Amino acid sequence: MAKDTKTRVPWYQTVRELAKRGREDIPEEFQLDTHLIWNSPAALDFNSPGADGFGVKRAALSVPGSIELLLSPGCCGRNTAALSGARDDVPFGERFAFYELDEKDIVTGAHLRKIPEAVERFVNSRKEKPSVVMLCLTCVDALLGTDMERVARKAEARAGVRVRPCYMYALTRDGIHPPMAAVRESMYSLLEKAKKDPAACNILGYFTPLDRDTEFFPFLRSIGLRRIREISTCPDYESFLQMAQANFNLVLNPEARDAARRLEKDLGIPSIELTRTYQADKIEHQYLALSSILAPEAKNIGPMLGAPKTALLQHARLFQRLYGDVHIAVGSRLDANPFDLALALTRYGLTVDEIFANPSPQDYAYIQALAKLSPQTRVYTNLSPTMTAYDAAASGITLALGKDAAYYHPGIAAVPWDQPQQPFGFAAVHRLFHEMVAALDEEAAKEGHAQ
Amino acid sequence: MKGLRLYLPPFAPDDAGAASVFFPIDGAMVVICDAGGCAGNICGFDEPRWHLPSLRRAAVFSAGLRDMDAILGRDEKLIEKMKRAASAIHPRFAALIGTPVPAVIGTDFRALTRMAEKRLGLPCIAVPTNGIGLYDKGIELAYLAMLKRFASAEKRPQSGHRTLGVFGASPFDLPILEGRTLRRSLLALGFDTVRLYGIDRSLEDWQNVGENAENLVIAPSGLAAAKWAQERFGTPFTVRFPLLPNEEPAGGLPLNPKKILIVDQQFKANALRGSIRQMLPDTAITCGTFFQQVPDYAEPQDKTFDSEEAFVAFVAAQQFDLILGDPIFRRALPDYQGAYLDSPHFAVNGSPARDNERTSKNEGYVL
Repeated sequence: MAKDTKTRVPWYQTVRELAKRGREDIPEEFQLDTHLIWNSPAALDFNSPGADGFGVKRAALSVPGSIELLLSPGCCGRNTAALSGARDDVPFGERFAFYELDEKDIVTGAHLRKIPEAVERFVNSRKEKPSVVMLCLTCVDALLGTDMERVARKAEARAGVRVRPCYMYALTRDGIHPPMAAVRESMYSLLEKAKKDPAACNILGYFTPLDRDTEFFPFLRSIGLRRIREISTCPDYESFLQMAQANFNLVLNPEARDAARRLEKDLGIPSIELTRTYQADKIEHQYLALSSILAPEAKNIGPMLGAPKTALLQHARLFQRLYGDVHIAVGSRLDANPFDLALALTRYGLTVDEIFANPSPQDYAYIQALAKLSPQTRVYTNLSPTMTAYDAAASGITLALGKDAAYYHPGIAAVPWDQPQQPFGFAAVHRLFHEMVAALDEEAAKEGHAQ
Repeated sequence: MKGLRLYLPPFAPDDAGAASVFFPIDGAMVVICDAGGCAGNICGFDEPRWHLPSLRRAAVFSAGLRDMDAILGRDEKLIEKMKRAASAIHPRFAALIGTPVPAVIGTDFRALTRMAEKRLGLPCIAVPTNGIGLYDKGIELAYLAMLKRFASAEKRPQSGHRTLGVFGASPFDLPILEGRTLRRSLLALGFDTVRLYGIDRSLEDWQNVGENAENLVIAPSGLAAAKWAQERFGTPFTVRFPLLPNEEPAGGLPLNPKKILIVDQQFKANALRGSIRQMLPDTAITCGTFFQQVPDYAEPQDKTFDSEEAFVAFVAAQQFDLILGDPIFRRALPDYQGAYLDSPHFAVNGSPARDNERTSKNEGYVL
């Protein structure tokens, strides 16, 4: 049963309850516009995606050689103090500049006339000429309805460098074109038509590189792809522009769908969407499906995938034998779909008692499957005000996956699973098991010392 | 160009300043009227206490505004969300904080608080910040909102018990971990109780502000509150930033500087000037700030900077041979040839809260 929100207990639903209600009847507590959003460290990625990873501001600087002018009231740029060199060990140095709007700008739109000059001064103030200036806009311009494309063209003419707007419109985050989709579209709109290379493809979706150890790269090479490009591995702007030569795009994150559609429309590059899953059979199935589309004549794909799949299942069985009594909480601040990950771990024979995530209709395939295997798994939302009352003591959780799950369960084994390189495929699951073992052993060692 | 900052990131904004006053108070339900990003910025970057175990469940919320909420001005919906949250967490009062979105759509915070108070059955206050102003203004407004709503008119100083109230004590101006040191040093002056408004957790401290025998203002953000208490209760106040041992610049001064610029919040800058003057009485010392500068506590040569450009031009024209300021100011002064002593100011440098967490594990900040 879901708990009554009138008492001081955190609200949740079991997976069985969620599955029974179905995707058309997701409870209000999981819907974002029905309640205040609790602003806890567990919800930081939701409220401020750039705080700990890639929000719009940081994402826009993924274009090699780019610099960024943030046009906003001071408060919107405050976290950029951390990104822009308030500390010496952060990587963005002087790639940010700011135009702080005042009341007059907001009322009259006076700032729009100053932007071309501001861009020119920004460009001239840096030692190296940038490849592009990204203009980052916030909720204020969303409400003012600013035509920033026009302003960007004027700035481009004055500064003699490409200028692209990117929209950090938090107000539209639940809309059909949320900010993290829009920024990808803005970045890839810089690509210009180029001659197609049949042996080239792009990986779209992330701002950090795909894990170099994943079998995905040998797999792609085995079906004839020789040039596999990601924006994060392009050393310079010229290399980035070569992404326009791709025969097709592989979309690994739904937030890159709009960018992929635009690339298809503007440059004629079609796309194929893949899912990051932690279930061994689904990983294999996805590779087989992809090869049947891209290289139907390839004969050795099945056997090639058999070995890593078998190795993964052996690894999972070993983990289950050694650590089978572990009780897991899966969060959503991690490199996985939390419902897929919970289902995968359950299918590997482990116990997942808690998930901290807001389900979407697309997650129901996982939820329905999980309901058959682990119906009592509790699904909490990081965003509910009732989570101020969450008490870990009674949960019995012994392993937390994700920063948010770790926040609720301090003092137990935890794996942030928030990689500098994006995990994918069989290799991702292997690595996760390794990290779970390390965390559990470390915690056991601590307990041993304490006794 | 006034708004252009080529080197300096934005400083702590007014909404973060206001939130910092309510944040530690037990029983506060803080609602930031935004789409989420402001709330994330405020807690993730401007609130070093956010990660402290004792405050890990602080009831700070984003209103979760969406485009249609803003366009249609759905106050009723916000009140309903607040009511729902209040029924879950049972707060003692609610505080609404403005951001750019309500500023642009012209939210009537007075009407909103009246409606909220009626529907929630709780005291509600609002601080109409807009994200354009700076942290000190936000703190000032939040102090006044708290005092006007909660200060009990009957309270007066107790005989035989001397209580000192401190206004302007915020994470922005008081280095992490030094709340405890500050309290200890003030207790050593003979006070029985020291109340740090903005750091201490008791709502009763606000209700009983009339008991304070004296108030101390350590930053311009606290001056209006102290004046209000003086007018309301006759409480005398003094303005002084009590420099802590690690803030004394004496040991680090180069030999015989002739012309010094100190860039900080005004009262700390004044304290540093006083300390240096004792050693170097003939040195010309200018205090400059990007924040509030109260004329009554300024010297004629002191300066406020309303833009990065003005700051750079002033330094270039004045030929200082020593600057004391946050290290980040160096970035804007590549041509400056003199000596520079770092005097970190959290409201300027915005070092992430998570960094401060490492140094605050013993909860020194919340006393």
